[in-house]
Amino acid sequence: MSRAAQILQRRAEILKLARILERDPDELAYLEAVSLDALQALREQTTEVLWSANGATLSRLAAASKLLPSALTATIAQRAFGPLLVARMTGLLEPSRAVEIATKLPTGFLADVAVELDPRRASSVLELIAPEQVEAVTRELVRRREHVTMGRFVGHLGDAALKAALGVMDNETLLQVGFVLEDKARLERLISLLPKARLTGIILAAAPANLWLEALDLLGHLSVPRQNEIVAGTLELGPTAREDMVAAVVEHELWEEVVVIAQRDPTLQGKLAQRLSALPARQRKALTRRLQADGGIERLGVLGQALA
Amino acid sequence: MATACKSLEALRKQLNGEVPPGLRELEPEHLEHLADAVHEARRRQGQALAQAGEQAFSHVPRLLRGPIRRIIR
Repeated sequence: MSRAAQILQRRAEILKLARILERDPDELAYLEAVSLDALQALREQTTEVLWSANGATLSRLAAASKLLPSALTATIAQRAFGPLLVARMTGLLEPSRAVEIATKLPTGFLADVAVELDPRRASSVLELIAPEQVEAVTRELVRRREHVTMGRFVGHLGDAALKAALGVMDNETLLQVGFVLEDKARLERLISLLPKARLTGIILAAAPANLWLEALDLLGHLSVPRQNEIVAGTLELGPTAREDMVAAVVEHELWEEVVVIAQRDPTLQGKLAQRLSALPARQRKALTRRLQADGGIERLGVLGQALA
Repeated sequence: MATACKSLEALRKQLNGEVPPGLRELEPEHLEHLADAVHEARRRQGQALAQAGEQAFSHVPRLLRGPIRRIIR
């Protein structure tokens, strides 16, 4: 992973932790120096602490709610408990009952709950939610630009619900969500559910929003056949978009990541080799050292030759 | 050094377990900030739950309040 990608991944992790702690992410900026693994471990522990605190009371409340009709429980959930406590209680309810209550709640409230929910503790509920409702909540989360929340959920949805969610995500959102996805191994499945016609559009979406880091990270997690399908879109890129991609590669040192595209696109390869040769000697040496340490020079192909 | 140990211990206590290795090198004030943040989140959650529990009863039909109280207590 490039340094720029690591920084962005750490920021996403800090944002998730800040959500759990109900703090402004800026307050936790000192965590940017901490490794991604340590941040993930900290979030896991914090989640565990908060989810198990008041666990007995929450379980009793969930049990008591069985005595009430689901419509009344939904009213109480909204008016008395609010999204945070409802999120804590969701995994404690019988999944079919939780889903029934969810059908009586407005989309905006469900989106609020989604932000607070730990999907791993409610996966049996999430699997049962109707694709139409997943679609409505996703549409709201897209509107709010809740990429981190969507990235946490994707792995817990069934194919039908995931297809419905993808249907309301534009390609720009898809790139942002893919970048902060909890389990990157899921990216292949996620992309496989997209209609073929949409695949080339993913690269085209990176251009106007300058999401090259996200696009190259996505490509790096896909199988070769899937990469081929998506990279075909680069041939449709105009000269300005290509220059922007090259600039992003230079700025964020995405040399390894860009090979996926460059090896299929000789024009781009030439442009990149040119930029690589033009780097200041000190920067080129530092990059060479780093790539040699990773054993990455060989993987860079023609770019590796330019570097050597 | 003593301050760092104290701050680390405060965070360990709030997390109910060992602090992840990569965090142990943080400045003492940052460890304390994290410990306070976790403590505060726990406190707020408990408070919100107590308030919500009481508020919820106003929506419950009178006939059901007794049986529900018996389950909750």
